Amino acid sequence: MSRCSFKAWDLLMLLFVTLLLFCFAFISMEHILGQKCIPGERLTSVESCRSGTGTYQRQGYIFASLTGVVCKEEKETDLPILYVASRHKAQSVPEVGNIVTCKITQISSRFAKCQITAVNNCSLAHAFRGMIRKEDVRSTERDKVEIFKSFHPGDIVLAKVLSLGDAQWYLLTTAENELGVVVAQSENGTPLTALSHNEMQCPVTHVKESRKVARPQKEHIGFPER
Amino acid sequence: MAGLELISDQGYRIDGRKPTELRQIRCRLGVFTQADGSSYVEQGNTKVLASIYGPHEPSSNMRSKISHDKCIINCEYSQASFSSAERKHRPRGDRKSLDMAAHIKQTFESCIHTTLYPRSQIDIFLQILQSDGSNYCACVNAATLAIVDAGIAMKDYVCACSASLAKGTTLVDINHVEESAGCAELSAAVMPKLNKIVYSELNGRLHEDEIGKVLDSVVLGCNDMFAVMERTVREHVEETVSNFTHS
Repeated sequence: MSRCSFKAWDLLMLLFVTLLLFCFAFISMEHILGQKCIPGERLTSVESCRSGTGTYQRQGYIFASLTGVVCKEEKETDLPILYVASRHKAQSVPEVGNIVTCKITQISSRFAKCQITAVNNCSLAHAFRGMIRKEDVRSTERDKVEIFKSFHPGDIVLAKVLSLGDAQWYLLTTAENELGVVVAQSENGTPLTALSHNEMQCPVTHVKESRKVARPQKEHIGFPER
Repeated sequence: MAGLELISDQGYRIDGRKPTELRQIRCRLGVFTQADGSSYVEQGNTKVLASIYGPHEPSSNMRSKISHDKCIINCEYSQASFSSAERKHRPRGDRKSLDMAAHIKQTFESCIHTTLYPRSQIDIFLQILQSDGSNYCACVNAATLAIVDAGIAMKDYVCACSASLAKGTTLVDINHVEESAGCAELSAAVMPKLNKIVYSELNGRLHEDEIGKVLDSVVLGCNDMFAVMERTVREHVEETVSNFTHS
C-alpha cells in the first residue's frame, strides 16, 4: 500500500520535472530567436540545436561568430539548425560544384582564363581567377574544340567549378547545356543574340560568330540587388 | 623629480585618473565605404584608423604563402609622421613597425576562423594618427571592431590593455608619460568571454611576484574595454539591422 503510493508520487514528480525542463528549454530557445548577437556570445546548448552559418561549437555550447540576428531553420528528421543572419553578403569562396559567373580575360590555344565574379548568384567582393581548359569546353568531340571559336575576351560565361586546380587557378567546365556564354559583344560593341548552341549573331550587322552558347536556367540568372 | 611622480600621495595619476581607470574611449565603425570593414578608435589621445579588406584572392607577393586549408592574414602597421611630438621620417618599414605588424597578425590568427576562408587573404591596415602610449592595445581594439564590421567570422572579441607598476601600485592603460618614465609595461590581448590570453608582452623589469598582480589588472582593464566595444557594436548593429529589415 505504502509502496504503491510512493511509486505514484515519484512518477508524478518525475513528470513534473521533465515538463518543467522542457518548458524552460522552450522558453530559453524562444528567447534567443530574433535577438541580435555579437561574436563570442553563447547562444544555446548543442543538444537542442545544431550549429549553422555564423556559429561554432565549443565545449557543448553554440557560440556566435558573426554580428547579426539569430535565426533557426526547422528540420523534420533532425534537430533544428541555428544560424546567424548577417547583413553582409556571404563571403563565399568558390567550391567544387558551384555554378560561377565569370568574365573571360585571356584566351590561348589550350585554355581560356577568366575572372570569377559571382558564386551561386552572390557577387563576390573580390574576383577569383579561373581557367577553362580545352577539354572541358563541351562533352562531345573534345578533341576538335577550338578555344577561339568558343570564347572571346570580355564574354560573360556561366561555368561550374571542376576542381580547385593548383594554387593559382580554379578549374572550370562548361560541358553542360546550361553552361557557356550568356553575354557577348560584337566588334562594334553591340550585344550578340544567341542563335543556336554554337552560334551568335549581331543584330545590327547580322554577322555570325561562333560561341559555346549557354541555355541559362532561371535559377542561375541573378538580378542586381536593390 | 617632483614633476615626474607617476602617482601622487592621494592616489591620483598625472592625468587625474585613478590607478585602475582607463582613458576615455571613443569608437566608430564603418568610417570607410571602400573597405570591407573599418573602424576608428580613440583611447585618450591615441587615435587609430583600421580597415579590413577581404577575404579576397591572395595578391601576387603573397601567392607563395597560400594555404589550402585556411586563409592567410596580412597586417600593415603605419605611424603617421605627425603622430608623435617628434616628426617621424619613415612612417612604415622600420623595425618597430614590422614588429608591431607581426604581433598583431599573430594575435588575430588565433581568433579569426581561418578555416572558413581557404586559399584567401585578409588584409588588416592600421594607421596611427596620434600616439600617446599603448599603441598596440589601441590597434588591436580597432582591428577587432573593423573585423566585426567586415563580417568575418571570429571566435570572440580581442581586447587589449596595458599595465605598469609604480610604487607598488598597478597602473592600467598607461599613457606616453608613464611609458617614458622607464617602468615596466605589460601589454596583453585577451578574449574576454573565452577567458584566454592570446598575446602578452613585457618591457622592462618586473619582479616575478608582481607579474600576477599586474596581469590581473590587465585582464580587468580588458573586460572594461570589452564592455565599451560591445556597447558600440550593439548600437551599430541596431542601426544596421533596422535598415536591413526595412529594405
